[in-house]
Amino acid sequence: MSRQRSMENILASEYVSIGELVRITNSRYSTLKHYTEEGMLPFEQAEENLTRRYKREETVARFLWIKELKANGLTIPQIKEALE
Amino acid sequence: MTDLKLAPSFSLIALNAQRSLHMTTVKRVSLRCMAAAVILELYLEGCFTQSENKLTLRKEALEQSHSTLYRETVLQPVLHKSAEVKGDLNWWLKKASMLSNKQLKKFEAAISDDLKAMNLLDDIPSLLGSDMFFESAEVEIRVYRSNIEAYTSITENIRAEILEEGPVTDEVICMLWLLRECGCMHDFFSLNELERVNIKLHDLYQSNLWAKALFPTQIRHGIELGVKRFLVLKSKFAKTFIGSSINYLFPALERSQAVFIETEAWFDNSDKRLDAVITRLNSYGHEVKVIKRGSIATLKIDNLLYDALPHFVVMNVPIQGVRLVPKHPL
Repeated sequence: MSRQRSMENILASEYVSIGELVRITNSRYSTLKHYTEEGMLPFEQAEENLTRRYKREETVARFLWIKELKANGLTIPQIKEALE
Repeated sequence: MTDLKLAPSFSLIALNAQRSLHMTTVKRVSLRCMAAAVILELYLEGCFTQSENKLTLRKEALEQSHSTLYRETVLQPVLHKSAEVKGDLNWWLKKASMLSNKQLKKFEAAISDDLKAMNLLDDIPSLLGSDMFFESAEVEIRVYRSNIEAYTSITENIRAEILEEGPVTDEVICMLWLLRECGCMHDFFSLNELERVNIKLHDLYQSNLWAKALFPTQIRHGIELGVKRFLVLKSKFAKTFIGSSINYLFPALERSQAVFIETEAWFDNSDKRLDAVITRLNSYGHEVKVIKRGSIATLKIDNLLYDALPHFVVMNVPIQGVRLVPKHPL
């Protein structure tokens, strides 16, 4: 049996899954998935089960930055440019 | 970002937008599943002792495990006066889901009080109560409103785990089973996603022991679920173009979907009319945010989006107002 990690454990770990990222950023899964597919949120892929793992601190900071740029009225292509 | 246990987090989803003062069929279906969630929560916390296929619950184990009132309201009728009760998972889930109306009401009060204490659930006047005809009849209708952030966090976490490659946790397996038994799968997944969910559920059943034990269990009550499905279909039909037109002309067919709010004066300006309606809704205790202004405005009222269509009804004199037609869920 595999249990869900507590928020305390998630906030202490280096890597998080997309589900955990949803929990800590209070965002929608579809949003994170879209950003990932657009290459805006880098991830590593564990070989054995193809699970995407995100570096927690970096990804959360990047997500907040994207959110801020979006609030300033930038479109996704413009945000992608700004991130590069 | 609170860590909720299984039963409270499922209840937060199940109680949202349900009537708080009346026992509707849809709410009874939700309450039965919420009671089953309490058993699953205890199981995940290891409160049962397992021998072969049987799960034993002792009264002492319950006392040691920081028992809360909502757990007691479900377990007391099952344990009754015995010091321990034994049964397989299927038996426990069925027993919890078959509580009487009185016991379900007690359980609902306990768990909703818990969620209210955490500021995750409100008890607000129903929008239907602001309808001119209901208001004049002095019928009081109140509904639960879940904290939108917590609600989204729970539902999106389920979606992320099941729609993504990789392992699925036991909590999410329980949630999926509860959503299935509650008849709510369609509320959280689109038709395309449901196909993927079905494949994933099948894979889980083949590969995961916990899913293999849980998925064959059914606690649904055919008639209640049938009524619920009919009501859901009726609401869905009311959202189609033909449905909303029929609903607009004959709101009695789907009352909760076409609420009429009258204005106190006859306005020729749509902005003024909208402001009068917002003032009226605020006075009834609703949170209203204007998403889009114009002749047909879009309003967010207590977590739900509505189209506000100008309308009038003819009584002894014509009464001007706005017909609120829901646009999207949450």
